[in-house]
Amino acid sequence: MENGKKGTSIVVTSGKGGVGKTTTSANIGTGLAMQGYSVVVLDADIGLRNLDVVMGLENRIVYDIVDVVEKNCKLKQALIKDKRHENLYLLPAAQTKDKTAVSSSQMIELVNELKKNYDYIIIDSPAGIEQGFQYSIAGADEAIIVTTPEVSAVRDADRVIGILEANEIYQPKLIVNRIRQDMVRRGDMMNIEDILDILAVKLLGVVPDDENVVISTNKGEPVVMDEKALSGKAYRNIVRRIIGEEVEFLNLEETNQGKFSKMMKLLFGR
Amino acid sequence: MSNSMISIKGIADGVYINVEGNDYNKIKEALEKKINENIDFFRGSKLIDIVGEELTLDIKTEIMLLLKYKYDFVLKNEDKTLIREIEKDESNKISKMPNVVEEGMTKFVHGTLRSGQEVSYNGNIVIIGDVNPGAVLRAKGNIIVLGLLRGVAHAGIGGNKNAIVAAYNLLPTQLRIDDIIVRPPEGDSYYKYPEIARIIEDKVIIEPYLPNK
Repeated sequence: MENGKKGTSIVVTSGKGGVGKTTTSANIGTGLAMQGYSVVVLDADIGLRNLDVVMGLENRIVYDIVDVVEKNCKLKQALIKDKRHENLYLLPAAQTKDKTAVSSSQMIELVNELKKNYDYIIIDSPAGIEQGFQYSIAGADEAIIVTTPEVSAVRDADRVIGILEANEIYQPKLIVNRIRQDMVRRGDMMNIEDILDILAVKLLGVVPDDENVVISTNKGEPVVMDEKALSGKAYRNIVRRIIGEEVEFLNLEETNQGKFSKMMKLLFGR
Repeated sequence: MSNSMISIKGIADGVYINVEGNDYNKIKEALEKKINENIDFFRGSKLIDIVGEELTLDIKTEIMLLLKYKYDFVLKNEDKTLIREIEKDESNKISKMPNVVEEGMTKFVHGTLRSGQEVSYNGNIVIIGDVNPGAVLRAKGNIIVLGLLRGVAHAGIGGNKNAIVAAYNLLPTQLRIDDIIVRPPEGDSYYKYPEIARIIEDKVIIEPYLPNK
């Protein structure tokens, strides 16, 4: 392929588990591919792989990241082309190994190799701050922090931002996932300002709590492709911000829209 | 530190090895020296067990593998971990082995295999239980699952095109026989009869297993 590209590697991380790292990785990767970029999404969660399932590519796996670093196969052989997007590839994690199977230096080498051929490398990091996290961030140029509006998730995000800075990855960008505007309005949920106050990082986007995400995850089709879903729109906006466009935040408008469509649903059954 | 680290006792069935200390390199050195003093006697011996107060399982495994592969010792020990280690070792070599399947060698696994679990065997595998998505079976021979097969099954590794994969419910993520890899079509539905997969003219064919035939 076009050798000599200078791609960007972005790690998606959170500290806390279950906040939506994998979903975010799948959606950002797919979204970037929809914009015409060549993308590799790399599942770094060895032993607990999920990204293949979320992207609906599980049954195509033959080789995985451990095979690549152990040189059992060529890098190209392990890359799985997405079902829907020509320019989107998945590098799956191994399931029968554990985090000790890959080292930081191997990861750096791997990501640098990928950067020569692809525009974006999205690295889906495992939860925690142990070895798996360490090698996930080793090859990353930039970081996206995913959090949910809960004190525990924000606390872990804060810790991770500190570790990233210590590893010379500065100015990570924040995605606040699964926000419920109705609860925020009642004062029952942390709002965006509260979270930004604590974390003091740049906001990349806000993704509403949306059942479409669950539906699409179970179907193996990232919600970013769903034209109707609000969460899909949120992810499309995030992608546009990543590639450098200025996109306004949906925020309050979002609530009205959400409310409106809910009413529509009630009235007309959608 | 001389040979006093190691003492080898022979009984009718084979030999016991006594080991002192827990430094693998020292033990290895002393042991190899001892064996080399009487190489013809030891080559091909039956090893019953390795014992030692400070001996760890890792070192024990290492020594056993050393004896097995370098000095052709026959292992009698039933230690599960060791057997697994050796199988792992052998499964890595599966592709290099000659194209022979001993039909009689079968590994039985009782219970459900979950995501991330892997069974590799140099013969047939029978799972009495389910195989969940994310679990992997690798066999040189046939694979039979008395339950639901949802994981990856690879039968006939190393050129055995006659190998089959059969399950009460055959819904694998991916099915491989020898070097042929197939995955179920999108939206494949649940089939409630036992099925058998085999290679016919270089294609994997899945057909129901009808007991009255």
